Amino acid sequence: MKRTHKLLSSLLIPALFTGLALAEPRTWTDVQGRQVTASFVSLEGDQITLQTADGNLHRFPVSNLSAEDQTLAKKLTAAAPASAPAADGQPAYMANATVAKAASTIDTLVAKGLVRANPERVKAGKQPITSFNAPCTDEQFVRRVYLDIVGRIPTHDEAQAFFANAAKDKRAKLIDMLLDSPGYNSHMFNYIAEMLRVKDRLDGGNNIRGIPYINWLQKQIESNTAWDKMVYEMLTATGKMWHNGAAGYLLRDAGMPLDNLANTLAVFLGTDVACAQCHDHPFSDWTQHQFFEMASFFGATSTRYRPVRARRGDDSMMGGDMGNKLMADIESIIEKNGMDITRLRNGIQQYIGANRYAITDTETNTIKLPHDYKYPDAKPGDSVAPKFITWSKEDKNLPAYKQKTKVEEDLRVSFATWATHPTNPRFAMAIANRMWARAFGVGVANIVTNIDDPNQSSNPELLKHLAEEMKRVKFSLKDFMRIIYNTRAYQSEATTEAIAMGEPYYFQGPQLRRLTAEQAWDSFMTLVLGEPDKYKKPLEDLYSRAIDLDLSNPKLDAQTVLMKYEAYRNMEAKERALMGGSLASAGEDMMMEGKKAKGKDSKGGSDMMENASLAYGGMVLRRAAELEQPARPGHFLIEFGQSPRNLIDGSSKVGSVPQVLMMMNGQAQEMLTNRDSLLFRTMEKVKSPSEKVEALFVSVLSRRPTMVEKDIAKRALSAGDEGYSNMIWALINTREFIFLQ
Amino acid sequence: MKTELNKLNPMARRDFMMRTAQTALGVTVMPALNLRAAGSTGPGTPGFGKAKNVIFLWMGGGMTHIDTWDPKTGSTKGPTDPIKAKGGIDYLGGTMEKMAAVSDKITIVRSMSSKTGVHESGTYIMKTGYEPRGTIVHPNLGAWASHFLGRIKGVTLPDSVVVNSGSAYPGAGFFPPALSPIPISNPETGLQNIRPTTSDGQFQKRISLMDEFDSAFRKKFQSEEVKAYTEFYDETMKLMKSEDLKAFDLSQESAATREKFGRNQFGQGALLARRLVQSGVRFVEVQSGGWDMHNNIDQALGTTTANMDSVFAALIEDLASNGLLESTLVVMGSEFGRTPDINENEGRDHYPLAYSTVFAGGGVKAGFVYGATDKDGRRVTDKQVTPQDFQATIGHAMGLPVDEVVMSPSNRPFTVGDKGVPVLDIFA
Repeated sequence: MKRTHKLLSSLLIPALFTGLALAEPRTWTDVQGRQVTASFVSLEGDQITLQTADGNLHRFPVSNLSAEDQTLAKKLTAAAPASAPAADGQPAYMANATVAKAASTIDTLVAKGLVRANPERVKAGKQPITSFNAPCTDEQFVRRVYLDIVGRIPTHDEAQAFFANAAKDKRAKLIDMLLDSPGYNSHMFNYIAEMLRVKDRLDGGNNIRGIPYINWLQKQIESNTAWDKMVYEMLTATGKMWHNGAAGYLLRDAGMPLDNLANTLAVFLGTDVACAQCHDHPFSDWTQHQFFEMASFFGATSTRYRPVRARRGDDSMMGGDMGNKLMADIESIIEKNGMDITRLRNGIQQYIGANRYAITDTETNTIKLPHDYKYPDAKPGDSVAPKFITWSKEDKNLPAYKQKTKVEEDLRVSFATWATHPTNPRFAMAIANRMWARAFGVGVANIVTNIDDPNQSSNPELLKHLAEEMKRVKFSLKDFMRIIYNTRAYQSEATTEAIAMGEPYYFQGPQLRRLTAEQAWDSFMTLVLGEPDKYKKPLEDLYSRAIDLDLSNPKLDAQTVLMKYEAYRNMEAKERALMGGSLASAGEDMMMEGKKAKGKDSKGGSDMMENASLAYGGMVLRRAAELEQPARPGHFLIEFGQSPRNLIDGSSKVGSVPQVLMMMNGQAQEMLTNRDSLLFRTMEKVKSPSEKVEALFVSVLSRRPTMVEKDIAKRALSAGDEGYSNMIWALINTREFIFLQ
Repeated sequence: MKTELNKLNPMARRDFMMRTAQTALGVTVMPALNLRAAGSTGPGTPGFGKAKNVIFLWMGGGMTHIDTWDPKTGSTKGPTDPIKAKGGIDYLGGTMEKMAAVSDKITIVRSMSSKTGVHESGTYIMKTGYEPRGTIVHPNLGAWASHFLGRIKGVTLPDSVVVNSGSAYPGAGFFPPALSPIPISNPETGLQNIRPTTSDGQFQKRISLMDEFDSAFRKKFQSEEVKAYTEFYDETMKLMKSEDLKAFDLSQESAATREKFGRNQFGQGALLARRLVQSGVRFVEVQSGGWDMHNNIDQALGTTTANMDSVFAALIEDLASNGLLESTLVVMGSEFGRTPDINENEGRDHYPLAYSTVFAGGGVKAGFVYGATDKDGRRVTDKQVTPQDFQATIGHAMGLPVDEVVMSPSNRPFTVGDKGVPVLDIFA
């Protein structure tokens, strides 16, 4: 056994691991007989570099080593391909030792997975993978990390600054800097909003808006609240959304508790039981009964305001629902004032109705098996006791499963504690797999909502390790992403071979990905605004203040309701104006960096103008995360595939004729090819045509032009301004621009 | 293989090229495997191939069957009393006066039954015949038709269009993306951005610059996704020069016609569908919403049903008067019905066990009811129709070989409507 192992490692080390700069740690001996455990990084001239387990690099004359180790070092160097990362002096150098070590552990697991995959690949007629893809260039890297971490391309100056930086740890430093910038929050919000189907206007009308929930989510992301805490809050929140934004998670699906549960399990636990809502799952082991046992945890929870009276069996008026009683008074006031009640009734009822969206826990569990329940273990209409699902027989002994399930009012808390517990078999894994998929284009378990069996994933060992890492960083998504972005696997060139849908992928580098709608839009915003994070949405909390009525207050009278309703309507009108209505049409010519906007200020309106957005044509110029969620039909974001937020991860990355028409002839391209655009001004800063061409390429594609491209560009530019705008148009319409390599 | 090529003989060269491309992509066609009993579909069977075009009216949210196409008078009755209808149709929901007046032109299937009460999967299964899977996307009927019947001859317009949606999902499914329907977000604006913002000469310069700058990238990444984008650019440029674009321009219709369809997105969407069908577009889906009536169904029903009623009736009358109804199948569908019992919020919840779909024109019987539910609208009591049968029925009407097995690029077998059986009884 030992012999076999030795044989294997002697085969593997020169063939694979050195090629990957992933030499396994070994014990090195120097001429004085002192020993150190370290990984070989490089041998340049007479200088050898070793990396110790803490991530630190040690560079010293190779002659300090024993003769035997010197020979080995030379062998290892010869075995390493010319493109080995160490030779470029790139990814092996980490700013943070712990992160470096964690990243390197992941790389080792990825490399092992690559080796394991080869027999299958060869069987399928494909080339075996002998190493990671070549390390990505600085140009590829800078574009990739900006798009991946802050959700937009780098500006011209940001890209140039990175190229000019000679520091060895500049990649790790840039990752750190971006993770701590506002762009990270914006981009992470887009991801979470798509995953959780976050909407500004919730289904069912009734003036119920997702704004307080959206604000809450953004605040959590901003303060990097641990994922387990965030999910716990969402699952256990009570009351109205504007008193506790986290309540938005359940209220998003008000009246649809079973759908909400199916989505909860899919998103947070990577477990797809939607089929079991109506029948036993056809492929997995989930039964309909199990689904209802889970639903039972939410069976005492209502998403509709219930008067306290009804709950306590108390007959006094205290805490009753004043809404219905008030309506009669309101109608008579309106009629007395000679207004048409038929035109106002709906609006007022909906205004009051929005205040009935509130989460309460009661003492009665109302969950029952559906009337068409057809399995022999129970009868239709039977009540169902809450019970946690398990993924394997041993699961029930885990600490996560030690929850009280007896007291109805605590059921939701028990569920949330179990679901977000570090020892829940899927919670950490599900989010870790998702975060991995964000960086590489596909998860280790390729269907992120259905990690049915981790052992069926493309690299089970890696998947389990990532789950452990997620726990180790205490569910800090930021810290987790930091590790992933520092891996050699991530910092490789994108894979060029075509990968069929559903085919296992082994992470020799990230996949080629089309930009998300939000990345594309935010990149346009970068090209037009420079640093787009300065432009925030207005009217943070007017909605919450304007909509709130205390229906349990017996003193609430019709006059107050009408006054508040009036204020609410004013808020809506103001919002319409700011969300791209009248201001946008006043902004036919571009309002750059607020100059013209300020010039138009009138006395008393300055507050509003300060918050007002820059606009071009009908488009409000702010990042996607600062716009309505999701955007309206016809908006650039929608045409580019933004999720309508009905399905988990519901965006599309497929092209369409309208989308291409928009890229070629739409307002967004007009804005960029316009003489007043920031791109033109960037070009004006430099004199020679060849510098101008370079400025354009770096601005749009984050890379310098090739010689051939320079020649083409120079010819094109001989047409003057028209030539420049043709160049901009051509570059933003390339596949290179809309794909991320 | 020889027989396969023979089959292609009558087709235009372009279609042949497309098929070749599909085969190269791994979408292969297998001969019919006799999935169904002889005479259940195919040339010569009732209704086969009668529908040259399809307009699919989608009622998003889950249309309440009891308040519309399958009205009840017992304990589950909604806020209104049913009204008497025409032809072989007994009653319709109380607010559907306009449809009642043209009900002698439609067939109602009252025995739909599905298994999923979730919007997303319910929608998906009604539009593709398949349950959603994380590993594959199934094509919609427009894409199936393009696959089997080839691209429409003589027009540059797309084969299929989805109106009132920013996305065509599930679109082409596992077929090449070029078979995706074109989504039109807003019928009023039609195909937006169809004209270049510069002179034609400058536009051509831009295009050739784009191709030159992009050549290295396209050579490096020869993935299907990148190629599909290049195809979209080519196709879009062809469309920009096309005369057929007038089909998207609603301003060519008289004000009276536009009023008749109703000045709202669904109404104008249906009018656009008629214009597109008139110009040769094969499959048009028009989306509408507002049916997810969990709360206060009385209030919710008022506007939504009235609008559906008048738009649907206007479309049928218009198609009939233009002589298009015989060759155009109009279908109305929804992801499921709604619970017979009114809930605590005075609304109705999701209910897949029993619901209705409606057919008109395209070889379908006029004034006919197929299947039935019990007196409360809870269970199908006669001639149950599944979403698979529903898909297969439309496919059959379009003349698609619904029993032909097509292998996806991942080598899994699929048919139009997942082996559903066409409901031949509804055809005249």
